[in-house]
Amino acid sequence: MAKVLEGPGMGLLRKWGISTPNYVVVTSSEEFDQLSQVNDWLQKSKLVVKAHEALGSRFKLGLVKVGLDLTAAKAAVREMLGKKLETLTIREVIVSEAVDHKEEFYASAKSTRDGVDLMVATCGGIEVESNWDKVKHLSIEIGEAPTDSALSSLVKDAGFSGETAAKMAEFLKKMFTCFDNEDAQYVEVNPVVLSGKGELVALDAVTLLDGDAKFRHKDWTFPFAAEFGRAYTKNEEEVMAVDAKVKGSVKLIEIPGGNIAMLPAGGGASVYYSDAVVARGGKLANYAEYSGDPPDWAVEVLTEKVCSLPGIKHIIVGGAIANFTDVKKTFGGIINAFRKAKNEGKLQGVKIWVRRGGPNELQGLAAMRALQDEGFDIHVFDRKTPLTDIVDMAMATK
Amino acid sequence: MSILATKDTHVVIQGGLAGVNAARRMAEFRYMIKQPLNVSAFVYPPDAGKTNEIICGTELVMIPIYKTVEEATANHPEINTSLVYIGADRAYAGTMEALNDPHIKTVSMITEGVPEKDSKLLGKHARKLGKTFNGPSSIGVVSAGECRLGVIGGAFDNLVACKLYRPGSFGVITKSGGLSNEIIWICSQFADGITTAIGIGGDAYPGTDYVSYLEMFENDQQTKAVVIVGEMGGDLEERAAEWYGAKKRRIKLLAVVSGFCQESLPKGMKFGHAGAKEGLKGEGSARAKSEALKKSGAIVPDTFGALGPAIKATHEELLKSGQAKPIPDLAPADVPKLPKTVQESMKSGEVLVTPLIKSTISDDRGDEPLYQGYPASELINSGYDIPHIIGLLWDNRLVSKQEAEIIKRIIMLSADHGPCVSGALTTIIAACAGIGLSQAVAAGMIMIGPRFGGAVTDAGKWFKYAIDNKLSVDDFLSYMKKNVGPVPGIGHRVKSLRNPDKRVKELVGYVKSLNMATPHLDFALEVEKITAAKKDNLILNVDGTMAAVLVDIGFPVDSLNGFFILSRTIGMIGHWTDQKRQGSRLIRLFDYLVNYASPKRRDVPPLK
Repeated sequence: MAKVLEGPGMGLLRKWGISTPNYVVVTSSEEFDQLSQVNDWLQKSKLVVKAHEALGSRFKLGLVKVGLDLTAAKAAVREMLGKKLETLTIREVIVSEAVDHKEEFYASAKSTRDGVDLMVATCGGIEVESNWDKVKHLSIEIGEAPTDSALSSLVKDAGFSGETAAKMAEFLKKMFTCFDNEDAQYVEVNPVVLSGKGELVALDAVTLLDGDAKFRHKDWTFPFAAEFGRAYTKNEEEVMAVDAKVKGSVKLIEIPGGNIAMLPAGGGASVYYSDAVVARGGKLANYAEYSGDPPDWAVEVLTEKVCSLPGIKHIIVGGAIANFTDVKKTFGGIINAFRKAKNEGKLQGVKIWVRRGGPNELQGLAAMRALQDEGFDIHVFDRKTPLTDIVDMAMATK
Repeated sequence: MSILATKDTHVVIQGGLAGVNAARRMAEFRYMIKQPLNVSAFVYPPDAGKTNEIICGTELVMIPIYKTVEEATANHPEINTSLVYIGADRAYAGTMEALNDPHIKTVSMITEGVPEKDSKLLGKHARKLGKTFNGPSSIGVVSAGECRLGVIGGAFDNLVACKLYRPGSFGVITKSGGLSNEIIWICSQFADGITTAIGIGGDAYPGTDYVSYLEMFENDQQTKAVVIVGEMGGDLEERAAEWYGAKKRRIKLLAVVSGFCQESLPKGMKFGHAGAKEGLKGEGSARAKSEALKKSGAIVPDTFGALGPAIKATHEELLKSGQAKPIPDLAPADVPKLPKTVQESMKSGEVLVTPLIKSTISDDRGDEPLYQGYPASELINSGYDIPHIIGLLWDNRLVSKQEAEIIKRIIMLSADHGPCVSGALTTIIAACAGIGLSQAVAAGMIMIGPRFGGAVTDAGKWFKYAIDNKLSVDDFLSYMKKNVGPVPGIGHRVKSLRNPDKRVKELVGYVKSLNMATPHLDFALEVEKITAAKKDNLILNVDGTMAAVLVDIGFPVDSLNGFFILSRTIGMIGHWTDQKRQGSRLIRLFDYLVNYASPKRRDVPPLK
């Protein structure tokens, strides 16, 4: 699942014939000045200025300004660019043309087990949240396309009538084509508005694409955005860069304020480890995971990042009994990074907890155990100790 | 009994190296249960027509590789299952090919990162055909005592530790590969082990879900209880709960669901597998799933850790009610073992192997080469030089500083002799013909023989013969004339008494300036006096000089030509790179350099 920001999301809708307002994405005031000299609409129309970043609740943060003329828009662009919010600096701003309209509608498409659900409502904008029962669905089986008659009865069922109904059916058809061809997982256009010219226009787009399908979309040149309302951190980006390069996988998400660092193996087991920490009242400092027998150096990079998380008290090196991930080799990477961290003065007062099984487990666990002789506060357990008991033991030492 | 992977399963593996590795793991399993390998064929177009070697116990089995699934099943009609180990961008086409083959009933896909749309289309197609599409991202399927598909179950020791050589009473369905193995282990320690364990993969929309397999387990009399390991996201666990609660079921259901941590994390933060994501409206949370499962009558421990005791309690109930019978442990001698490799057996002192070759000079089994036991780096750091290495490798001894200096001078004096001599000229001709370095130098090397550079060993041999047998110069010369011919090391094509060879003068002068006995050199010089007096180009040449000196410092006669070969290699490499650098073109002899002595053109007589 990969989130796409508004600009490229609108671009995809346009590609499949859906009208959107004119817009530009800018990274500097100078760039905006130049664009305003060559684009008539920037001089004549009312404008909307929005921070173009992976952020929730931009309205509340004052990062959406509407009804501006060019001078006010320039001031808004200047003000927003470079603004710092906790972990994020605003690097891009999107300026779009305001569209005169009376009515707002809602349209979305969502991936389901059997195919795609198309959803539509006559109420749009924030109204839809409180009128969820007015949203009508049409399920389309994978490999099929919605028929004209099905779309027509869907919009009628949702309460559209006359010309608008026909236009909305056409809009949904295009939106489905876009969704299907672009390997989308979720597309929400809220609001869809009926412009003064009588045309349906997509004013905003939430777009989630299937990152795994990137190999067949050469025109996906835009970066994917973080999905949790903040930009990726430097450490996260570095681990993602390694992940993209290697066989197997390494993953990292930082959670500010926690004190239990996680370094477990396996996409499944890692979540049980996180659950165990939370269930015992602990605060996670991160999520991490390595699996699929990644090279030792990739695990080493991940471990370095985990060791440098601020304020940590424990590191949980957990894992189930691996099928084919070599325990000795991957632990070799972890041990290298532990030594490096210790030489840099990190890991002071940090307790390390290890539980693992799998190919070459005896050698891997013995190598971990030997770190005790180097002055590490490390506790090593084998497959006979149940999966998450090390979390219980770690939390009991407080 | 078991489901999905049984004793009647015969497999084609689609893919390259990862597939071969899986076949090796599957062969280990089959060896453990004393059955022949059940992989009949591979499909991998780049290697079509070749075979993959799979070790089965003590045998090496050759499994053919085909271009298409159709070819594989035509040649091996017993195939009924395909394992897909193809990259994500080609996995769809490969899997379709397998599903459309009438022989194949089950396809299991290990490939990760398959686009959701592709896996939905594959799932739909399989359902339409009434076949099973398992995965993507599936670690595989294992049925204790019967069949293993993929690497599920891990290393051989783990298969044995988990008692996978015989069936137990528990079915297992997980999304996670690592946890499937963990549950297999738990079932073997807290209960009597598994019947079949299935990894369905952690994607959002796996081809086959819990319900399909619960239905199969319900119909498998050997399976008494099923453990499912769920995750937040999607609705597969809810559907399982719905199935279980719909009517009275024969099997007991145990379940755990991960993702409770989500409740106390920033909203939208996504962990774990691709499918592990809460719905936009909060549906599919771990709590909702656990509640649904509990409500359906399933046993749902609060934590993963509590699963072991719950499995144990379930097993005890099964024993008490007589549904399961106690299974005695195997006697230690009967526990399956993999045959040891020769290396492993030697390590534990169980086998004696007669070596094929014997080496007395070097050993590189450690972190650096040892020459006669001396580490190369320590020789370097102690000031030793190339001549010492020659001494160690050619004569098994550390030569003295003075001897090393002599060797060094010999090499320096004979490194090259210009482009006209046989060796260099041949190398140059080869270089100009576009021949590579090693072959061109080897061509030049072939010239070294009785007339060019190859007389060192023979010269040394006969000078040594003279000294060993205390022959006078006259006796030696008459012996040579009678039995051997011209004295090797004596005579030169262009040099003579009046035009002496500076190299010989230099070497003789240096060696005579040292405080060492040089009986062979002295003898050779005496021989020269007589021969040169007869004809003035019968001088002691550089081969003869080197030979006499080297025998004086104790090198074995057989190694002597080596000094010339080694030295002249430096020159030949130089000539090759010289021609290469200049971009020289192909050369051929000019006609005027040939004396055409063959008959003039004439009529061909009729063939008789």
